[in-house]
Amino acid sequence: MQVQAKVASQRQLAEDTFCLRVTAPEVARIIQPGQFLMIRPEGGFDPILGRPFALYDVIPGETPEQDAFEFVYHVVGKMTHLMSEWTGGEEVEVWGPLGNGFPTPSGKHLLCVGGGIGYTPFPAVIRAALGLKPFGESPWKTTTERVTFCYAAQTASKLADLEGVESLENVSVQLATDDGSRGHHGLVTDLLAKALEQSGDDRPDEVFCCGPERMMQAVARLCEQHQVNCWLSLETPMACGFGACFSCVTKVKTCDGWDYRRTCVEGPIFSAAELELSEV
Amino acid sequence: MPSLSVSLGRLQLSNPILVASGTFGYAREMEEYVDFSQLGGIIPKTITQEPRIGNPPPRTVETSAGMLNSIGLDNDGLEVFIEKHIPYLLSLPTAAFANIAGREVEEFAQMAERLDAWSTPKPEAGLNALAGLELNISCPNVSGGVDFGTNPDSARNVVAAVRNSTSLPVIAKLTPNITNIVEIAQAAKEGGADAVSLVNTFQGMAINWRTRKPILGRILGGLSGPAIKPLALRCVWQVSHAVDIPIIGIGGIQSIDDVMEFLVAGASAVQIGTANFYNPKLSGTLAEALHQIMAEEKCNSLAELRRCEGVRAGLGE
Repeated sequence: MQVQAKVASQRQLAEDTFCLRVTAPEVARIIQPGQFLMIRPEGGFDPILGRPFALYDVIPGETPEQDAFEFVYHVVGKMTHLMSEWTGGEEVEVWGPLGNGFPTPSGKHLLCVGGGIGYTPFPAVIRAALGLKPFGESPWKTTTERVTFCYAAQTASKLADLEGVESLENVSVQLATDDGSRGHHGLVTDLLAKALEQSGDDRPDEVFCCGPERMMQAVARLCEQHQVNCWLSLETPMACGFGACFSCVTKVKTCDGWDYRRTCVEGPIFSAAELELSEV
Repeated sequence: MPSLSVSLGRLQLSNPILVASGTFGYAREMEEYVDFSQLGGIIPKTITQEPRIGNPPPRTVETSAGMLNSIGLDNDGLEVFIEKHIPYLLSLPTAAFANIAGREVEEFAQMAERLDAWSTPKPEAGLNALAGLELNISCPNVSGGVDFGTNPDSARNVVAAVRNSTSLPVIAKLTPNITNIVEIAQAAKEGGADAVSLVNTFQGMAINWRTRKPILGRILGGLSGPAIKPLALRCVWQVSHAVDIPIIGIGGIQSIDDVMEFLVAGASAVQIGTANFYNPKLSGTLAEALHQIMAEEKCNSLAELRRCEGVRAGLGE
């Protein structure tokens, strides 16, 4: 659906990283973790296309008409610079929920891997997986008992405030930075590799991942080696978000090779096993 | 309420608001955004005889007040279109077209002949007739074969071959990437086109200077969106004053004022393109907005509303 909505508020979570809250009850009521929405300012034509953002959280309002969703973004271009100046009250066009969302986690131990701004779906995923917060009209009924969240950024100042996820019961957050300014000095895949080598309950049953392409390729390869199911949330350039433009294609395996498939409608979440990964 | 119905040669449409090929998927993608009965017609994504995998990503990039695309006619081919999309498209409460592209004249003709089977309604299956064929002789993003729309002789030949292969109304969609669009429109008319749609995208490119590389996977792409509106209006105006053929105007339309500008420039109908991507519900709201303008302007027909004579005089003809 497409709705006119208003920016409710904005807060900073890390260097150049902001969380925008938008009052849009129709969308907030049904959106699921891993789904995304498109947003653009009302009117005007530069920037012109909507921008896709993954769901970060849903915030119930004092009345149902004030229900809001949140997404987190990194300031990189024309639209995100503009957005970073919003303080509340701005009119925006929103369409969504879009895409398939993460599948209901299976098994007892879910491991989430977030790289840079790719971490944003996971606070909602973690709360939904542990049954701490329902999302959408048919919330997940999961068997998840614990979650390990491996989260990495270039440097400590770019690691976002996880806003309480780190202190949830049965959640273990493991951080890494490229420069060692916080957490493990190195790659997030070092943390993942160590987790996958565990046995018993410490070994994850399933991995959800979102981050830079090369990181996701490495995560998928590690999961394949350890025979653990891996789901990737892809980020491909898109113009519409609902399947009309055929821009956001990715290579998906077929019986006789591969075919380009639209990330926005067939994804953005794909099983790593479905993807032609050398080419992601 | 005054009627918005419009005829373009043999084509009768309930209103002049259509949606452009390549910007509306195969219509299913748009069903939660648009009340199809509010549209004059739907032109789905171009189909080719055989499936095409399309161009490597990135396939689109935003530019100032517009975007470049190089999708490369990614589609599943004619037979999948017939099996999967035709039954849906012909069940909708609006005129549905097919947009076709062939590598050779013969392939255009074969596709037209195959689609001629839908030139009459099939009430037992609840299907309307196909409203017509739009010929994509203007895609800037595929290589190989002749670019039919850049040469009057090949444009005339391909339109004529299609015209001889089907009783369906034929619209030729023209490229602006030429010296004189009037010549091509004239050739399309001579070939037997019922109407021309003007214009497809303008060839362009985008560069990331920091990487010293082009942004699109296939380097060049087609520019669309509000950035091209003045260029498209110019094309419509030039053809409307030189060639006696109905025109469907396309190029950066994102409001009812834009629609009016194309009608005044000489178009009988318009197609909404890139705006479907960033304002998906727009196309379904424009017929109602056109009614309002007719009421404000106290006009009883589209012809009256267009008042093209005024533009001619104003531009010194």
